[in-house]
Amino acid sequence: MIDEYTEAEVQRALAEDLGVAEQGITVARRENTLILCGEVESTHRRDEVLRLVRDRFPGVEITADIGVIRAGAPTEVEELT
Amino acid sequence: MIRIAAVGDVHLDEDVVGRFRPALDGIAEHADVLLLAGDLTRHGTEDEARCVATEFGGLDVPVVAVLGNHDYHCDQVPQVVRVLEDAGIVVLEGDGVVLDCTGTRLGIAGAKGFGGGFAGRCASEFGEPEMKSFVRTTSGIADKLGSALRDLDCDARVALTHYAPVPDTLAGEPPEIYPFLGSYLLGQAIDSADTALAVHGHAHAGTERGRTPGGVRVRNVAHPVIKQAYSVFHLTESPGLISG
Repeated sequence: MIDEYTEAEVQRALAEDLGVAEQGITVARRENTLILCGEVESTHRRDEVLRLVRDRFPGVEITADIGVIRAGAPTEVEELT
Repeated sequence: MIRIAAVGDVHLDEDVVGRFRPALDGIAEHADVLLLAGDLTRHGTEDEARCVATEFGGLDVPVVAVLGNHDYHCDQVPQVVRVLEDAGIVVLEGDGVVLDCTGTRLGIAGAKGFGGGFAGRCASEFGEPEMKSFVRTTSGIADKLGSALRDLDCDARVALTHYAPVPDTLAGEPPEIYPFLGSYLLGQAIDSADTALAVHGHAHAGTERGRTPGGVRVRNVAHPVIKQAYSVFHLTESPGLISG
């Protein structure tokens, strides 16, 4: 069973590891699985997040739903009248 | 009318260079200025700042930025600022700049900001030195932001921060971390001047729209929130904008 100390360690590792430095990933526990959700700026960063958690917490089962943020030109403007 | 483009939290490093550029080339067709609301780099190295310079330098509109907490992490702030300024990006921290937007003077005052929380649930300058230092950091930044806004000689004022000045735009974030996402002192500084718009980032899970207690429109332009290269706001007939 993943306890809340592990959950906290994962959350901190994602922010504090210089190869990752992600504060926008939500970490949640569901039975024996750690759920990682959020959005990052590249597929490389998504891979690094998963690699970090797998390397540091080898016994933890992970389910990840991490997307890459769209960066297209805006199609609308907001009129502030 | 003034057309303001804005985005924050782009967290540039080599792996991201080129993702924003297609939408940035020719931005003058859509905006008069681009504001960058902090967290420009992944963890604040000079090399990452060069990535920001590559991506956001040499545009056909002025670019005005503040730094965010990520840009401070590696203690290379002077180097980061120098690289950005060498690329023609104006970096604000407790000061302001006035731009001529087709005859209308747009004043932008900016500061990174800091945490502390919001009315009724905020930190106080009391107790341990570390706690007092935390709150004094925010109040000092807010004081400079307020002075910079009031000192702008312009037709329309915009406030640019990384941390949030109101809780409205944090909706979606866990309430427990609001004190690390912004401070009411920033909102109070913004309300101390005739401000037309306040733009911030930092809250990746927050929402786009809010208002200060004084009625100033607040927009969270963190990239994970807006999910596009930048947002565009048209300032027309707004408080603080005198038709020119």
